[in-house]
Amino acid sequence: MNKFNRRTFLKATAAASAVAAVPVYLNFSEHKKVASEAPLKKVWTQCNGCSSMCTKAVYSKNNRLWKVEGHPLHLKAGGRLCARGHGVAIDVYNPSRVDQPYKRVGDSFEPISWEQANAEIGEKLTNIVDQHSGDSVLWVEHGPRGKFYADIFLDLIGSPNYCTHYSTCFTSKTNVWPKMVGSSLAADHENADYLLFAGRNFAGGIIPNGMSKIHKALERGAKLVVVDPKYNEMAKLADEWIPIRPGTDLAFFLGIAHTLISENLYDYRFIGRHVHGFYEFWEANKTADADWAAEVTGIPAETIRRIAREMAAKAPKAILEPGWHGLHAHYANSTQTAQMNVIVNALLGNFYKIGGLYPAQNVPFGSVDRKIPRFKRRGDRADGAGVAGKYPTVEPGRGIAQLTPKLIEDGTIKAVFIYHYNPLRTAPNPEEQKKIKNAELVVVIPTDWNETAVYTADYVLPEHYYLERTEAPRNVNGHVAHIYPQIAIRQTALEPIHNTRHLKDIIDGIATSMGYEGYFDFTLDEEVEAALTTIEDVSRERLYEEGVIEFTSHFVEGIPSEHNTSTGKVNFSVPEYAEHGFSGFPTWVPPATWPKAENEFRLIHGKQPWHSHSVTSNNPYLLEMTKKYNGEWMWMNAIRAEKLGIKNGDVVTIHSSVSTKQAKVKVTELLHPDCVWVANSYGNYSPRQKNGYGIGVNFNDFLEVMVEPMAGGTNCQEIIVSITKGVS
Amino acid sequence: MAKFGMLIDASRCTGCGACQIACQMQHQLPPHLQFNRLEFRERGKYPNVRQEIVPVQCMHCDNPPCLHVCPTHATYKRSDGLVLVDHRKCIGCKYCMTACPYDVRTLNDDRVPEKCKFCADTVVQGEEPPCASTCMCGVRTFGDLDDPNSEISKKMAKVDVYQLITEKGTKPRIYYVKK
Repeated sequence: MNKFNRRTFLKATAAASAVAAVPVYLNFSEHKKVASEAPLKKVWTQCNGCSSMCTKAVYSKNNRLWKVEGHPLHLKAGGRLCARGHGVAIDVYNPSRVDQPYKRVGDSFEPISWEQANAEIGEKLTNIVDQHSGDSVLWVEHGPRGKFYADIFLDLIGSPNYCTHYSTCFTSKTNVWPKMVGSSLAADHENADYLLFAGRNFAGGIIPNGMSKIHKALERGAKLVVVDPKYNEMAKLADEWIPIRPGTDLAFFLGIAHTLISENLYDYRFIGRHVHGFYEFWEANKTADADWAAEVTGIPAETIRRIAREMAAKAPKAILEPGWHGLHAHYANSTQTAQMNVIVNALLGNFYKIGGLYPAQNVPFGSVDRKIPRFKRRGDRADGAGVAGKYPTVEPGRGIAQLTPKLIEDGTIKAVFIYHYNPLRTAPNPEEQKKIKNAELVVVIPTDWNETAVYTADYVLPEHYYLERTEAPRNVNGHVAHIYPQIAIRQTALEPIHNTRHLKDIIDGIATSMGYEGYFDFTLDEEVEAALTTIEDVSRERLYEEGVIEFTSHFVEGIPSEHNTSTGKVNFSVPEYAEHGFSGFPTWVPPATWPKAENEFRLIHGKQPWHSHSVTSNNPYLLEMTKKYNGEWMWMNAIRAEKLGIKNGDVVTIHSSVSTKQAKVKVTELLHPDCVWVANSYGNYSPRQKNGYGIGVNFNDFLEVMVEPMAGGTNCQEIIVSITKGVS
Repeated sequence: MAKFGMLIDASRCTGCGACQIACQMQHQLPPHLQFNRLEFRERGKYPNVRQEIVPVQCMHCDNPPCLHVCPTHATYKRSDGLVLVDHRKCIGCKYCMTACPYDVRTLNDDRVPEKCKFCADTVVQGEEPPCASTCMCGVRTFGDLDDPNSEISKKMAKVDVYQLITEKGTKPRIYYVKK
């Protein structure tokens, strides 16, 4: 690849784009001057630092960002913002942003006009569809923010292949809950008396108001127990930190369930009336008692029994937090672990209860009038999600993202559109993911020069930064229970500073050049207006003005007589799994791998409070925090480190079946001896992101491409590494 | 006149760093310039171990060593007690940096040893400093120590407090909740 420094970047921009001169690279004294000479503007919009999408006030002067603040009413923000909420705002000025469309020429990129990009992509895509049918086209994105427009595009082409990143994320949870309960329920932390957190960390994978609610519960005297191989950020607040052997949470939950059932501590009325498959589950797990669970997990049997009894005493205001990924997920036993989340909570009888779990509150939105594409026949999904004989129980609406390079290699997929997603850094084995480049057409729609854009794109079509665009309104719910429905909106807080476009216009440009005209003939304002037609007394202007609107209709306690599942009940045994040869109910499944030799460890990962996966890995402010606190170092238990002669700050060589890399070690008492831990944010290898490039390692560097057969997950905690001191 | 102070409940802190970057945005600081920090400590041995985090920033001492050593009176005390720096008078000698027992001064790009200003411009209008207002854990309470009805005074009345490095006679304006 040709060296691409900022000078050439700026030169290329100046030569090719007709964008008005904008103060993009202001230094701080210039900025202060600009900022001091204009009236202050305040706009409510939604954060893009993670999927919580906190509403925040964006303060600017002269279209220059000053600062951001959390919206007091927004369920996720509660008036507060985390470090990344501030950091991602500043990234609007990051020099690594893609400032206009580019086309790959050899190993480099040339600026081209939007018109040329649309014409060339349209022609190539038309040829591919003509030759190989629409089934050979894949749209993959973080999901589901581009789905509304992507679906129109895929309908026009006739492709079934809309895919999200979910298989690399929370697929265990989202597969299990609809099949077992009918929908995901959220925990009412604020009103609970007992909070068991395992595989969930509100202070690392932050929801600011979630943390505020935990503090309120603790002030009221609630008990907090954190089960995690790593002393995570929430463990500091907990009454107890229980370092569990990584990969064995399923056994811990089976032991809890066994205690609740064998000691008659469970809610037998709820189980009797509302549960399908209780006896099947119990018959299969009668020997999985606390003593057995203690052997597997390394947690004393009396601790397991005590926690079960304490929770039963506080039930129904006792919660096993439903987690983001479905508890400690991404093991061979993740689907079963996620199933136990439903079962333990159901045994405690906390469903549809204040202080327990209850469903997200929604208001329905209207949809904009638009031209509907003509029906086109389509084949099965290329990744096999929901397809008999392949991955029948994986949700077809979400797909299996890690398979993309394989589908290209075997010729099933010829054209790929990658929107707001960076699989080269966030999916398993980057060398494998780089093969996405081998598709006949790769179009990447990012905001910055991430690894996927740099290494795979034939065309890079930059989207407006989140502060520069308006989107249709959304419900605010999930993960934190709230009895009132809320809606919020993302709106343009800063005028676009580069030659970028809204996703709708990017897709429309390509569709139009393929001859599909008029399918996106609506404005964003019309979309917002249409969404609000179903809601009384809420105008577009009011929503823009207030940012978040809360409604009075609300949740009341009461178990529905019928659940939205295949049996109408809460399924302890899932017929959909059993039909396809899996066990319908969970029983013990060991992790696929165990560390054995003296220098072998399980490599596990998690979130660091000031980074959000790879999205923030080039942020100069958040990386200063990394530097200050050695955030990219790999954690290792002190006793294990001593045995290997490793001292704090030493460089070690990490070797897995996939790669060999070096990292510095943080020697700590705060980690289970079986594993080493890294934050999931590092290992940036995009040479166009100069702040983050080359900092730290990423778990994906060491991970083989795998598919957990029931839910499609990546099994990304199933990594065994051998570690030696020094560079070898 | 208000006597501004801060109460920090370090036991609530989970180390997310929002206080640092919110402050940087408020004052438009470059990435390498930070007015507050967290100190992490491990206590005990696995598995009987806990972590402590102490947020640290300029203490706005009533008896500030940095002010006493400043040869040009660039460091001064505002009438309400806030310790501030007059950039025009600073000659960049860095005595203040050496004198501060809390190690909270940091050199800006003009070689002026900068520090937390307690948001001197905005707190007089009743606004909370962003290090406090952004915090999801409610670690910091800012307010008027002389007003018995202020939130900080009410909280201070209910808890035992301690201060950092009091043996130097600095009389800091930042108090920490004793647990």
